[in-house]
Amino acid sequence: MTTTMTRAAAAVTLHGVSRVFGRGPAAVRAVDDVTLEFPRGGWTAVMGPSGSGKSTLLHCAAGLERVDTGRVMLGDTDLTGAGDADLTALRRTRIGFVFQSFNLIGALTAEQNVALPLRLAGSRPSRSIVRSTLDAVGLADRARHKPRELSGGQQQRVAIARAMVTRPEVLFADEPTGALDSTAARTVLGLMRAMADAGQSIVMVTHDPGAAAHADAVVFLRDGRVVDRLAGAGAREVADRLAAWER
Amino acid sequence: MLGMSRAGLAERWTLFVGALLSVTLGVALVQSSLLLLITAATLDPPAGLSAAARLQFADGTSAAVAMLGVVLGGAVFLAGFIISSTFAFTVDQRRRDLALLRLVGGSRGQVRRLLLGEALLLGLAGAGLGVPAGLGVMAVQAWLMRRFEFVPEGFAGQWRMWILGVSVGTGVVLAVAGVLVAARRAARVRPLEALRESGPAARVMTAGRWIAGLLFFGGALALVIVAPHGGPAGGQAMAMNVAMPAAVAVVAFAPLLVPLLARLMPFGGGVPSSLARASLRDARRRSASVAAPLIVLVALVVGNTGAGASFTASGIDELARSTHADLVIEATGPVGPAIAKVPGVARASTELSLPAELTTGSGDERETETVTALVIDPTAYAAVHGTAVSLQGRAVAAGPGGEVPKRGEVRVRLPESDLGSLPVVASVPETMTGGASLLLPPGLVPAGQLDDAAARSFVSLAPGADPAAVRDGLSRIGKVSSLDEWLRADAADRSSTNDRIMLIVLGLGGLYALLGVVNAVVIGAATRRREFAEARVTGLTRGQVVRAALLEAYAVTGAALLLGGLAAAAAFIAVLSTTSAVTGAATLDLPWPLIGAVAAVGLTVTGLTSLITSWSATRRPPVTLLAVRE
Repeated sequence: MTTTMTRAAAAVTLHGVSRVFGRGPAAVRAVDDVTLEFPRGGWTAVMGPSGSGKSTLLHCAAGLERVDTGRVMLGDTDLTGAGDADLTALRRTRIGFVFQSFNLIGALTAEQNVALPLRLAGSRPSRSIVRSTLDAVGLADRARHKPRELSGGQQQRVAIARAMVTRPEVLFADEPTGALDSTAARTVLGLMRAMADAGQSIVMVTHDPGAAAHADAVVFLRDGRVVDRLAGAGAREVADRLAAWER
Repeated sequence: MLGMSRAGLAERWTLFVGALLSVTLGVALVQSSLLLLITAATLDPPAGLSAAARLQFADGTSAAVAMLGVVLGGAVFLAGFIISSTFAFTVDQRRRDLALLRLVGGSRGQVRRLLLGEALLLGLAGAGLGVPAGLGVMAVQAWLMRRFEFVPEGFAGQWRMWILGVSVGTGVVLAVAGVLVAARRAARVRPLEALRESGPAARVMTAGRWIAGLLFFGGALALVIVAPHGGPAGGQAMAMNVAMPAAVAVVAFAPLLVPLLARLMPFGGGVPSSLARASLRDARRRSASVAAPLIVLVALVVGNTGAGASFTASGIDELARSTHADLVIEATGPVGPAIAKVPGVARASTELSLPAELTTGSGDERETETVTALVIDPTAYAAVHGTAVSLQGRAVAAGPGGEVPKRGEVRVRLPESDLGSLPVVASVPETMTGGASLLLPPGLVPAGQLDDAAARSFVSLAPGADPAAVRDGLSRIGKVSSLDEWLRADAADRSSTNDRIMLIVLGLGGLYALLGVVNAVVIGAATRRREFAEARVTGLTRGQVVRAALLEAYAVTGAALLLGGLAAAAAFIAVLSTTSAVTGAATLDLPWPLIGAVAAVGLTVTGLTSLITSWSATRRPPVTLLAVRE
């Protein structure tokens, strides 16, 4: 892993990235020669019909999935050839994840879940850091609750707090509102908007035009390729564009 | 990490109860066997015994020690096997949790440490419960040994303070060692697996499984090949040890074999059966893990009792073929001359049995053991047993029981006299039934020392003699039976001894393995609530889901019974070749009622356990299960 002192302009950069699943005639090019920059301090939504490769693109960008060709850069760090230990360290310090299915650890309370990344990184997190992170997502009073005692929206906010407690460079979110009702979804999106406004880089995959409309920019994917972009569009405009690509 | 281990244990307690129980009973079994072994090995003869009785006591004690050695070996093997397979299974069932940990920044080392931490806690807790449980197990084992007269009345295992350290060590070492391989494997889980709904398409056969499988297969094969060349004692010991490595080899290949065989079981039609068939195809590692303890149980119980019964039958058969006499008289003291005087007796071989302390070798290789010596009339002995043996003066012969070199010098000490160094000049073939290790010529032992010796005389009638009259004449000397009666009684005695030995060696171990079977079914079902709920929202009734689970359990059990039988069959090959090599007749005598019982118990236990677990896993309405997600 190489790190240079200069800060790159883009939070994450993909250069000619391809990812193929399967072999021979059954091979699927989930991501097909994608070159893309996710800007620092901006919120980018990735949209596309199901099977367009948007989740695989996110996994590749986050170093969870290896790429077959091309390069993935997190800031100035090349993830392409990084080993397991390097990627683990990145997940602890520079990358945060939020997923559709929350993925909290059921055995741990909300505050234990939030403290987990810090503890895994070997530090003994102060209660105040954990509490203030939970407070930032509006759940300071739920610190001692276990995931099953929380609503879906609350669980997702705990997941966001867990992702943010390490102050990551980039927050990757895969359908963060996919399992939420509209009220809970609005709360979560509002939270993410506030984070982006405060300078947090966010890459989000979604199929919901309403969610995508909260982002600064929308990238459209089809058959593993980037086919379109929109900036500062409303939900209607995003939906129309998506519908056009789904035809 | 220890804190996380604690939280993990508290949350997934259903998954861990089985693991804890396996450590507890494993520690209890090992502790009890070890304490009994030490007690038997240090047992002093009661005061006031005659010298002969003291030597006999020593002989009985060394037999009990040998038996307890086998029990201890079996306990350690079973504990190691059941604990490691249970732990590996619980780890396997938590791949998604572990992937999640990796996703939020957990390193491979941390995943490993988490699992080892859990194993440490479970090992300590299991030892804490296992020490008192071991006292109960010891009471049962000692009672069995007293009841079957392998140890004197009043024998009871003695507590040793150091056993605390051994038991805690056993619990921790077995638990940690048991999880070591599984932890390494789990540490390689990819973070992305946390995001997948269903379990990963994990590799079915790992390199470790191939290596372990081939290694243990090689071990079993080597024992099968060498057994017929090991003589009666060595051959029997080797054949009795085939089932263990053969079972481990079969278990290693179980992910390939179990689903294959399970799908061959007749299922009947309908949705539940096609669902069960699909589950078998899909969850190959789970099927293998559920089958593993049952394979070992069947292999050990069927393989060893089958081998034991066959060797006993072979010995009985050999004895009948090689004994040429009409009547057998059991008496005390040198009754030979008295028998010879009875009218109608053509020939009698009177064999007086004495305990003897035998020393062979010298220097570092010097060994002393208590054996049975037989004072014989060489000519008569040869005629009755069909094997020539010529002895004169101080020369002795190696008997059918083995343990004495065929040539050379041995030192022999009898209860009341030291015979000094004696040349071994002849030997008779070792037999399956064993018997005396040393044959002594008449006149070597001072006459007075034979007065209390047990005497067995084989009598041949003169042509035309009236058997009833001869019998009548002999009955004043001792207990008379016809050769057939005596052989039948001897056979019954040998079979019953064999059964008792098998019960002591396999009884508690078998129950422990059965607990492993229950464990495996419970763990296998513990993580299937969601799968069951999905089947129900698809339109299956609760009854259909339970029936599918039951059919699956039945198919896996059937496959496990067959595979356990396969491992046992390896032992039977060794039995056939060994009995053929030793007695000239290949013998296999299978305890069919026991085999039937094992199959019935296996099917009943897995069936009931899977019925209860799948019924309770489907208790809540499916929608609540599918809606609530961690």
